[in-house]
Amino acid sequence: MSSRPIGYFKPGNSWLHRRHPVTKLLGLVAIAITAFVLPAWALPAPALGLVVIALSSRLGLQTLGSLRLPALLFGSILLVNAFFFPGPVERIFSFGPVGLSWTGIVFGVVSAARIAIVFVASILFLFTTLPDDLLEALVDKGASHRLAFVVLSAIQLVPRLQGRATAILDAQQARGLAVAGSLATRVRALVPLIGPIVLGSLIDVRERTLALEARGFGARRDRTAYRVVIDPPHERWLRLAIVISLLLLIAGVAAGVVR
Amino acid sequence: MSAQLEIRDLAVRYPGRTERALDGVGLDLGPTDLVGVTGPTGSGKSTLALAAAGLVPRVIRASVSGSVTVDGQDAVHATAAQLAGRVGIVFSAPALQLSASKPTVREELAFGLENLAVQRADMDERINAAMGRLGITHLAERDPLTLSGGEQQRVAIASIVVMGTDVLVLDEPAAQLDPAGTESVAAMLAEMAGDGRAVLVAEHAPQILLKTGRCLVLDGGRVIGETSPREALAADRAVGGELEAMPAVGPSVRSVPPVAIAVSELTHRYPGGIEAVRRVSLSVAPGESVAIVGQNGSGKTTLAKHLNGLLRPDSGYVSLDGKDIADRAINQLAGLVGFVFQNPDDQLFNNSVEKEVGFGPRNLRLDPASVGQLVDSALAMTGLTGRRAENPYDLDVSTRKLVALAGVLAMEPPVLVMDEPTMSQDPLGTRRIGAIVDAWRGAGRTVIAISHDMDFAARHFERIVVMRGGEIILDADPGSVFAASNTPLLATTGLRPPLGEGVEGEI
Repeated sequence: MSSRPIGYFKPGNSWLHRRHPVTKLLGLVAIAITAFVLPAWALPAPALGLVVIALSSRLGLQTLGSLRLPALLFGSILLVNAFFFPGPVERIFSFGPVGLSWTGIVFGVVSAARIAIVFVASILFLFTTLPDDLLEALVDKGASHRLAFVVLSAIQLVPRLQGRATAILDAQQARGLAVAGSLATRVRALVPLIGPIVLGSLIDVRERTLALEARGFGARRDRTAYRVVIDPPHERWLRLAIVISLLLLIAGVAAGVVR
Repeated sequence: MSAQLEIRDLAVRYPGRTERALDGVGLDLGPTDLVGVTGPTGSGKSTLALAAAGLVPRVIRASVSGSVTVDGQDAVHATAAQLAGRVGIVFSAPALQLSASKPTVREELAFGLENLAVQRADMDERINAAMGRLGITHLAERDPLTLSGGEQQRVAIASIVVMGTDVLVLDEPAAQLDPAGTESVAAMLAEMAGDGRAVLVAEHAPQILLKTGRCLVLDGGRVIGETSPREALAADRAVGGELEAMPAVGPSVRSVPPVAIAVSELTHRYPGGIEAVRRVSLSVAPGESVAIVGQNGSGKTTLAKHLNGLLRPDSGYVSLDGKDIADRAINQLAGLVGFVFQNPDDQLFNNSVEKEVGFGPRNLRLDPASVGQLVDSALAMTGLTGRRAENPYDLDVSTRKLVALAGVLAMEPPVLVMDEPTMSQDPLGTRRIGAIVDAWRGAGRTVIAISHDMDFAARHFERIVVMRGGEIILDADPGSVFAASNTPLLATTGLRPPLGEGVEGEI
């Protein structure tokens, strides 16, 4: 039995799970834009919003858990900016061209916060949206189903690679390779993993091509859909509200009302 | 009505190869024709299937001469749209078939219907009919990726059957199926031909070949005979020649003493709560040979993966020589319990056969001379000595399986565990693996194999463990397990007593 994960989807029935995939996608885009147009002082607002969304859809712990990996990225953004902020800034201390500056620290924190907001919003989207629903919803809204399938495959790529890596690691350990233990052992274990993953992915692509061809994928333009994603009127109102709020915000920032 | 599948003087050569994969093959299939194709590994069966389905050269590049006509449509130059709905192809491995992007079996089956633009209202009826034919109705709402290999293969067959094409091509569809599954596929193919379809099936399984009207025997890309199924079966067993004498297992290089295995009250649950193994207890004495049999999805692989720590029990324990293995890492157990995966692609990761086979012994930190000795002897046993420099990925699946086996033999584990070792082997390959089992037993080591091949199990193992629904329902010597009085019980887990001498006698 293989237990390859098929996506980041966490089954559930929260209010966020029940939203139409396109509504959620639009919400994600709106939050991403907001995170980058808002002035720094206003960033806690979308951050707090995301915390409320995560908690109310019972995904608080899982969202927190997903932050472990990008935490490294946020840390490095902060460090690089704190020490290497370019231009004539007031340094707290310096060695030659490099030095710690308040400007850099603030810029680093703000940049990391903007990226973190986008990251958490994306994770919440992936946690609550079944890729298949997204695909059908996009096709229903007029997207090409080939394009939608590419999007779906991209979403599933990382978990597929993870599944593949797990299978290879299992097989290598079953042949006596130590993969746990000291840092050196872990790094050594990574090397024999890279080749098979790359090669395995290429084989995977070939297998998938055959599978899709055998199943008539792309043979006709007038494809039908088994999965029906309902899009009731209130979802459309919600999307309209998201778009209007976003436009108002952008206008506010542009006009200098929100500074 | 004219022929639905017409092949004339077909020759296929893959890029970078000098010899042709197919050479001068001709074939006519009309409605209601059920035709078998057999022949040893590398004889061109798969290429013929791919060409008949219009996938060579459109999807898999090759230079092709001659013609393939499907339902009046030239298949050599056709577009996907021209062929969709006319011909369906079933492959031997579910990975080649499933979209791997659908959350349930039902939706996986709907995928092909969507592509053929079947109306939504008609879909469920067709899906239910296909699931009924393959006996997978109970799996309808399961995630295809969490099913066992054999269950996935039934889904894969259903995924093509549901499309309802007039021409159906199958390339070793039963390689992963239990005996009952193989029989039901054989019956289904006969039924589909009876409905007016043309069915072409490449196989080694007698249950399927005996249902065909006639058989093509291929060897080296050429048709060497178009015969009755019985003659084809006999020819299939004869081509490829005799197995060279198995080299005797030399004196142990690692000299690891034999090990006793005990499984106690083991239960394993997969995410989603499915109990694959339920309170199973099993003791295997040092040097014993045990075949684990049972229907697809009965928990055989799950149980076996506990023996070297690949899976850990939710309750119960596994012990080696009386010591619980719960706190020992997989790699620490590797020198004691060797595990050969069902799918060789889960196991191969080096760029030459020699490196691949040496990977295990090197991890055991043996000196280079011993590694060389172990590699040589493993390659000799698996008949791969002449292919040590080749890249495993360039070999066909049955040879890749032998490489995977050699990689574990070279570690000389006192316990050898194999998951479906004879799957995708031709009769010669199956005999070779049988001889390896005998040699391993002869050296006083333990062999445990999961198998759907009852003939293989009865012939090479002294003890048969029968599983059903995650539990052991029979555990005895082959004579007792396959006694006539057990036939009804065996049938409840998809098994039939071995055809053995019976079939060979008939031939």
